[in-house]
Amino acid sequence: MKLLIVEDQPKTGHYLRQGLSEAGYNTELVTDGATGQQLALSGDYALLILDVMLPGRDGWQILQAVRGAGLDTPVLFLTARDAVEDRVHGFELGADDYLVKPFAFSELLARVRSLLRRGGVAQQETSLQLADLRLDLIRRRVERSGQRIDLTAKEFALLEMLLRRQGEVLPKSLIASQVWDMNFDSDTNVIEVAIRRLRLKIDDDFANKLIHTVRGMGYVLEERPA
Amino acid sequence: MRHLSLSSRLALLFAACTAVVSLFAGVLFSRASEAHFIELDQQLLDGKLIGVRRALADANAADATARLADELSRQADLSLRITDPNGQRRYDSATDIPQDLPHTPGLSTLSHDGTDYRVLNAALNPDRADSPQLTLLLDITHHQHFLQRMQRLIWLTVGLSALATALLGAWAARSGLRPLRRMSGVASGVSAQSLNARLPEADMPPELAEMARHFNAMLGRLDDSFQRLSAFSADIAHELRTPLSNLLTHTQVTLTRPRPLEDYREALHSNLEELQWMAQLVNDMLYLAKADHGLLMPSRESLELGDETDVLLEFFAPLAEDARVTLSRDGSARLDGDRNMLRRALSNLLDNALRFTPPDGEVRVHMVDGPQGVSLSVENSGEGISPELLPRLFDRFYRADPARHEGSSEHAGLGLAITQSIIRAHGGTIRGESAAGWTRFVIELPRGD
Repeated sequence: MKLLIVEDQPKTGHYLRQGLSEAGYNTELVTDGATGQQLALSGDYALLILDVMLPGRDGWQILQAVRGAGLDTPVLFLTARDAVEDRVHGFELGADDYLVKPFAFSELLARVRSLLRRGGVAQQETSLQLADLRLDLIRRRVERSGQRIDLTAKEFALLEMLLRRQGEVLPKSLIASQVWDMNFDSDTNVIEVAIRRLRLKIDDDFANKLIHTVRGMGYVLEERPA
Repeated sequence: MRHLSLSSRLALLFAACTAVVSLFAGVLFSRASEAHFIELDQQLLDGKLIGVRRALADANAADATARLADELSRQADLSLRITDPNGQRRYDSATDIPQDLPHTPGLSTLSHDGTDYRVLNAALNPDRADSPQLTLLLDITHHQHFLQRMQRLIWLTVGLSALATALLGAWAARSGLRPLRRMSGVASGVSAQSLNARLPEADMPPELAEMARHFNAMLGRLDDSFQRLSAFSADIAHELRTPLSNLLTHTQVTLTRPRPLEDYREALHSNLEELQWMAQLVNDMLYLAKADHGLLMPSRESLELGDETDVLLEFFAPLAEDARVTLSRDGSARLDGDRNMLRRALSNLLDNALRFTPPDGEVRVHMVDGPQGVSLSVENSGEGISPELLPRLFDRFYRADPARHEGSSEHAGLGLAITQSIIRAHGGTIRGESAAGWTRFVIELPRGD
């Protein structure tokens, strides 16, 4: 799965490529709009990450050319400007997502994963599982090592999200947005508390901890060797 | 005239008024005196006319001449000419009588060779058509001199009084305008460093007191905004300086000598926290800057505020349970507004309320759907806030507790300022109320058009 980054600031581009490559994506970086457009039009990429301000051709022009050529490659915009009109303009042209600098890399990664997943067929799972933790989507029940665990509706939604995206570091803002539909910057520590309470129910009685905090980035559900 | 000073204008106006008034009075007086002189002359000449007629009543010529001379000698400045009905001169009492005299009957005035005369023409015997004509001349040069002197005096008075009032007027205007000059003095002394200067309102005349009050109020507002602005700039610098110095110090110390891998990881994590804090701060400040420039444009969708509040209360439920605080909502309201913005505004209020509610306390959201708009309040139990601090709560970087806990996920103190900006962008107002045992934030939102 190949990603294309078109970003003219060398440092930003370099770290984006490094981060995405280490997350397991085959990533290509170009620093000017014209080359970016040429590559984007080849149709070889699963996702385009475009900076808005670029030398040669700006991100919007590239997006227009891509959509004009009939390609529906997902496009994620990066910009330092946060004007509502820009956002609207981007979505009108067919952008799939929009991130304003400064953004957290974990946030970018989560969105990249969302966009890439969107293309795939959503599996109709009836249950989700990790190690001895099992979540029954139909009966809305959670068990660990056969023991029934009672969760509130939001705790269930939170655990479902962690299980669906196990192994991914989920930033707090993404969790707030997906589980509680809170789509704004907030420096509240609600998410920390919610995770702590979920941990209390899921992990505290078991030696094999599944919910992990990645300092400064978010939370991840995964099995780690003891 | 446009560039003349106010004092000069007033002085000139005063002078012109005085000149007009004194000129008018002078002319009136001079006319009256002249009329008075004419009346006196008329009486005198009428009396003399009777005397002359009487003297000439008898035809006895020799005797008549003597009586005439006797009659005339009693008035030195009087002279007489007698003419035939056909204009032939018959008698002159003096040699210096002008050749041509007016023939109109009655009184007239004549000027000849530097001498002024009052002339009275009358028939010797009014009953007879061929009666000789009598012309009595009264030398009135001294009267005329007097009148001329008086006219000069009048002109002098006009000029001098105009000059005097101009000077007095200028002085009066200058002293009358002194409060204005004081005002301008204060205004010219006002700069960013001295916005605390105020005009003494009590000393001002009533006409200027109002202006002084407005002027002072303007200075007050400017001072207030400026204080806030400079405090804001200073705060920004301070807020950024702390994490920046942490980053610098920590990074430099880490790099001074080789360390185990875990130390580097720890350093990066610590840096990450500071950086995230700074990113959040910058984002919040940009949000506020956008609000200040009127760029915060809420979308308008129909919202059920009761439902929105419930969603938020559910979001904050874990935090509240942790803090053993009860969350509740009563009332409901419908409003057109921006869902995410209003959620953010309310979320800041709830977060703030939870922060200051002691265990076993409660946070209540109450809303009333009125005809004019919606009133929504967020109230929490706990220690009240002193009234003088209430308006300051919305100041940027204001913290009820000045001691910031370093390194924690402590707020930058922009939450309530952001809430206020959002409410204002919706055309509403927010205020804080407090008393012993509770604190309440009241939002008034007008119904969207």
